[in-house]
Amino acid sequence: MEEFDYLSSGEEEEDCESLDGIESDDQRWTSTSLSSTQVITEESLLAAQVEDLHRVMDLLTVREQHARTLLIYHRWDIDRLIAAFVEKGREWLFSEAGVTMVESRNSASSWSSSPIMCEICIEEVPPNSVTTMDCGHCFCNDCWTEHFIVKINDGQSKRVRCMAHKCNAICDEDIVRKLVSEKNPSIADRFKRFLLESYIEDNKKVKWCPSVPHCGNAIRVDGDAYCEVECTCGKQFCFSCSLEAHSPCSCPMWDLWVKKCQDESESVNWMTANTKPCPKCNKPVEKNGGCNLVSCICGQPFCWLCGGATGRDHTWSSIAGHSCGRYNAADKAKRAETDLYRYMHYYNRFKGHMDSLTLETKLKASIQEKVSIVESKNFGNKDYSWVINGLYRLFRSRRVLSYSYPFAFYMFGEDLFGDDMTEKIREMKKNLFEDQQQQLESHVEKLSSLLEEKFDEFTEEKIRDLRMHVINFSVSVDGLCLKMYECIENDLLGPLQHAIHNIAPYNSKGIEKASELPIFQDTSANLKSTKITGANNALPRASTTNEKRATDSSQPSSSGLLRESSSMDENICSTRKRSRKDGRGDTLIDLNLPTWVVDKNGF
Amino acid sequence: MDLSRVQKELKDCNKDREISGIGIEANGGDLTHLSGTITGPVGTPYEGGTFLIDVRLTGGYPFEPPKMQFRTKVWHPNISSQNGAICLDILKDQWSPALTLKTALLSIQALLSAPEPDDPQDAVVAHQYLRDHATFVATARYWTEAFAKRVTVGIEEKVQKLVEMGFPENSVRKALEIVNGDENMALEKLCSG
Repeated sequence: MEEFDYLSSGEEEEDCESLDGIESDDQRWTSTSLSSTQVITEESLLAAQVEDLHRVMDLLTVREQHARTLLIYHRWDIDRLIAAFVEKGREWLFSEAGVTMVESRNSASSWSSSPIMCEICIEEVPPNSVTTMDCGHCFCNDCWTEHFIVKINDGQSKRVRCMAHKCNAICDEDIVRKLVSEKNPSIADRFKRFLLESYIEDNKKVKWCPSVPHCGNAIRVDGDAYCEVECTCGKQFCFSCSLEAHSPCSCPMWDLWVKKCQDESESVNWMTANTKPCPKCNKPVEKNGGCNLVSCICGQPFCWLCGGATGRDHTWSSIAGHSCGRYNAADKAKRAETDLYRYMHYYNRFKGHMDSLTLETKLKASIQEKVSIVESKNFGNKDYSWVINGLYRLFRSRRVLSYSYPFAFYMFGEDLFGDDMTEKIREMKKNLFEDQQQQLESHVEKLSSLLEEKFDEFTEEKIRDLRMHVINFSVSVDGLCLKMYECIENDLLGPLQHAIHNIAPYNSKGIEKASELPIFQDTSANLKSTKITGANNALPRASTTNEKRATDSSQPSSSGLLRESSSMDENICSTRKRSRKDGRGDTLIDLNLPTWVVDKNGF
Repeated sequence: MDLSRVQKELKDCNKDREISGIGIEANGGDLTHLSGTITGPVGTPYEGGTFLIDVRLTGGYPFEPPKMQFRTKVWHPNISSQNGAICLDILKDQWSPALTLKTALLSIQALLSAPEPDDPQDAVVAHQYLRDHATFVATARYWTEAFAKRVTVGIEEKVQKLVEMGFPENSVRKALEIVNGDENMALEKLCSG
């Protein structure tokens, strides 16, 4: 790895783009192909799920709301839904998810003129103020409304069940919205938002961007969940754990490290003492009485004693089998002192590199200044992208180096893998890793010092020399980072017997920027070639009703339109400046504006 | 809260009190705090006992489940022997507004006949139920005798005593009936008006 010829530096040069281009290396390909990570904004939230909804609607010939109920039940995992359909059949699929469909929605009761007894309030009500749900149960509108509001306020919007005892049917979302909005429009809005946000909340492929203050976006990842991604708001994070990007540390390592580094606040203490994370969705669950079989709001039952997921058939005798009651007596006091010194060793290096990174970000301005000075000197070579390229390489590798210390702290410590390696093997692996780490460290420092040279005072000859060195060290640092990731994945974390730790793969170009969902511009006025987005997206507020109207009436249905996705490639418009036309024309949002303007005006 | 429904429910439930063995009374004029009584099912260790259940209604009733808790001590795998908390699905996530206080009390009565030791509220009782059934039955019966049958023991003496304290006899009898013969609770009730 020490020798680099000019050939490789030439390759690096090809990768170089304009000064701004490097900041977003991937810009080039987001505009032409779908990247594996996408940003879902408030406006594109509906568009993002339309594809899934329409697949289910087409496959099972159901209305959108039934497709949504099915997808929510299967946590937006279409493959699982289809597998259940193939294995167990339509009937089972529907009844399990609470989808019921009756042939005629107008049951006899709505035609009769005599008062109807509502079994909830035990009052007689005129027939025009009752509603019969798809499952056939009929109650008065006031009671339905109360029931919906209680359920929505209780956070159960996604599965509002019928009021009848033991009826598993999920209520028609249009009826819920209609009745609730008559009494309390803000709760109806909340209901709608919860339904839409189920696509983010319940879907393992989608996560909220953890930015603070929240940018309102979510990120969808199509491939491996172990990746690091950058939202359009600029927030970089680990998709797997939603904490900051921390590779080559694994998520559990980083979690432990962060906790170790910060003083635990009162609320953290309270949470640890009084809540347990749900084994499915990881939200902290507080026990509000009753037995040790606890249900999270996501529906997952688990054992309060050990926090492990259980089925509904969790039994008392199997509680006895849990090892949760056993006290794990580890004599930690003895090693406390050595542990502390060990921690300080790693922490100081981790922090040291972080501090260097902060200082080096200030370098950027001075480098740009120097570049403009040199550019005015009329030297032969006018391309100074290598300086900025080198600087970004420095940032990325500095980051890697910094996070490699908490990794090493846990990899070669007792906390996580105490039983996984013998002392001898641990020592051997530690030496192997530290050699690489030191090599990377020395190259990074060298690169850093090169970039601090006052090249604006240099002769052309000297600049050529510096350029060569910067490029060479950039390449070698990149190679060393890759090697370190490979070593971690293959030689260190891979062979572990008792634990599974994954890290995001090394990305030479830095953390991937999520692309915005492609918006297919409609050039032929009639929404002909809409694929994922189209009409639904243009009308965020009224979309669901419009869609329903479209599917119910004889107009060309939106699902029909979706199937006719021809020549869509021609219609891709720039992801930065989006243009969407509203075919039906009662609301017009000018999306030629920059995203941030649209976001502000959005719903 | 739907007070008219609660009133109707009370009326409806007490109509066939003798047959169903289920009764509900309002504590004074407060319709959010009720007292339910169930009789122990025949052929169980609870036979012959009358169990008092504290019923509290939240503002969301009937769209939110009523909160029910045994006031009479009872030895049962799904009922806490410490505080009377009940582990029953319809009082939690399986509640439906179509259910009533009476159906809920009937379900509790059914729970007395058919314990579910696999989903216990009281692990000690459940353990005994599964491992040493004979002792369980004996304990449950003893608890019934000791705590759930006080209504028959010397009711006249209690009436006498409370009347001597200065309460009108009618009110005393009514209060004792509501609280199932518990003297202290009757006193509490009489004092609170």
